[in-house]
Amino acid sequence: MSAATLRRLIVVSLVVLWELLPRLGVIPELFLPSLSSTIAAGWNDAGEYGHALAVTLYEVGVSMLFACGGGILAGAIVGSLPRPRVLIMPMVSSLYAVPLVILYPVFTVWLGIGSESKIAFAAIYGFLPTMLSTAAGIQTIDPQLLLAARSMGATLSQRLTRVIIPAAIPTVLSGLRVGGALVIVGVVVSEMLISSAGIGYLISRYRTILDSPHVFAGVLLVLAMAIAFNAAIKWIERKASIWQTGTREGQRAADEIQAGTIQPATA
Amino acid sequence: MQPLANVTPFKPGSRAGAIQISNVGQVFKTATQDVVALSDVSLDIKPGRFVVLVGPSGCGKSTLLMMLAGLRQQTSGTILINEAPIPQPDPNRVGVIFQEPSLFPWLTAEENVEFPLALRRIPRSDRRAKAVDALKLVGLEGFGKRHPHELSGGMKQRVSIARGLVQDPPVLLMDEPFAALDEQTRMTMGDELLRIWAATGKTVVFVTHSLTEAVYLADEVVVMSARPGRIVDHLTISLPRPRTYEMLGGETFGTLRDRIWRHIRKSA
Ligand SMILES: Nc1ncnc2c1ncn2[C@@H]1O[C@H](COP(=O)(O)OP(=O)(O)OP(=O)(O)O)[C@@H](O)[C@H]1O
Ligand SMILES: [Mg+2]
Repeated sequence: MSAATLRRLIVVSLVVLWELLPRLGVIPELFLPSLSSTIAAGWNDAGEYGHALAVTLYEVGVSMLFACGGGILAGAIVGSLPRPRVLIMPMVSSLYAVPLVILYPVFTVWLGIGSESKIAFAAIYGFLPTMLSTAAGIQTIDPQLLLAARSMGATLSQRLTRVIIPAAIPTVLSGLRVGGALVIVGVVVSEMLISSAGIGYLISRYRTILDSPHVFAGVLLVLAMAIAFNAAIKWIERKASIWQTGTREGQRAADEIQAGTIQPATA
Repeated sequence: MQPLANVTPFKPGSRAGAIQISNVGQVFKTATQDVVALSDVSLDIKPGRFVVLVGPSGCGKSTLLMMLAGLRQQTSGTILINEAPIPQPDPNRVGVIFQEPSLFPWLTAEENVEFPLALRRIPRSDRRAKAVDALKLVGLEGFGKRHPHELSGGMKQRVSIARGLVQDPPVLLMDEPFAALDEQTRMTMGDELLRIWAATGKTVVFVTHSLTEAVYLADEVVVMSARPGRIVDHLTISLPRPRTYEMLGGETFGTLRDRIWRHIRKSA
């Protein structure tokens, strides 16, 4: 049986178990409402969930823009210039270990409990890994490749577009994957903590009144968001590999690099 | 629009592939001290010659090659290639092949070979045709669509040689190109290189640590010593061509090899 079939089977059985276990009374409905009652709860209050989803998506989108755009830009600068690297990298790396969620209450004081504080928190949360891996991606480019390009007469901008960017793409994308996921986490968590709208807020409100089906309807939406994000990153990765090579042939190699069969540009 | 960088227009009547190195010195300024990597190196290489540089590690062979490639500027003296200085890399005059094949892993063999042509904005179809020819010359017909990770070490180095050849520069610089290969591959690659060299008539400057390889390949062997890097001997290898495996055991071969070894032992 192929891995893909197996994966599908696991998903299907999880879905079936989610429906069956609560129905058969193996798990109390309060702990885990059955899938159908969860969907029904969500469906009945579709308006409320739709509004919450719009708020959350807006916050995720804006934070993603700041986190990824800023992270790539800052990472590129820090990765390519030695001085900022020496100054900033140790700070950023240790900051990475701090549970940034402790900052969130401060943000609500500064920015209020609306979207702004969530965006600020999630953007910073997702910014760090994006920046770190972009910097790493640029730093670890094989200098021999740059020397070879120079020996073939590549100008500075040609080296940037034809060597540095393509060589850094895989690492940058893996940073985006982590950074983007953290943005989603950041938004939902901050909504759960202190807020007045969004999916996180709904989850946390229904939890206080012990309405499990409504809680899990929210969880389901967050899950769907994460899956959609993952699919988007996959799509970007495929596009990027086409751009990297200028042909579709490169896609196969990129797929293999992703599958871990070969190592990317960093020797 | 990119400027067409670093390209010297072809001068008719210039001695294609001639290299003149006069009183060249190179000093590296490091934090603690100045390292004199090369001192007063002079060498005249006639077009079409196969010249091998040998010498102990750190004597400045790579540094000299970098300067010939226009990748580094000498601190004193002059270097002329085709009777013109080389202030920056110029793939129309000089092709460089490094010890590590340094192929771009995201490009196929063909695209790697096309790379220097793509930099010059040569139309895709011309590019492809030249790359296919160059790959054929190095014996890699039919491997053009593979990525570097799908090629063996020897094949990768062949691609890198094809990439050095594709713009048809009169001078080819090779810095220990076969050092990472096993002995058998190394021998066949040497023969291949001699075949290509005979077919194209290029000037080759080749660095190696293998004295056997040096004598086997060269018209001339230039022996250098370390600290500071200087030329201590310049031998002409008069063995007939084509070179054969049998020559390796011959008396002439042994004598030449010994003479080079004595220099290196002395300065190491
Ligand atoms: N960028 C640099 N900065 C300082 N010193 C350098 C630099 N590059 C080379 N050197 C020094 O210059 C000398 C010559 O180096 P080079 O790499 O040319 O030697 P080489 O003959 O190629 O040695 P090998 O056979 O080991 O490759 C060495 O002493 C080296 O330490
Ligand atoms: Mg060297």
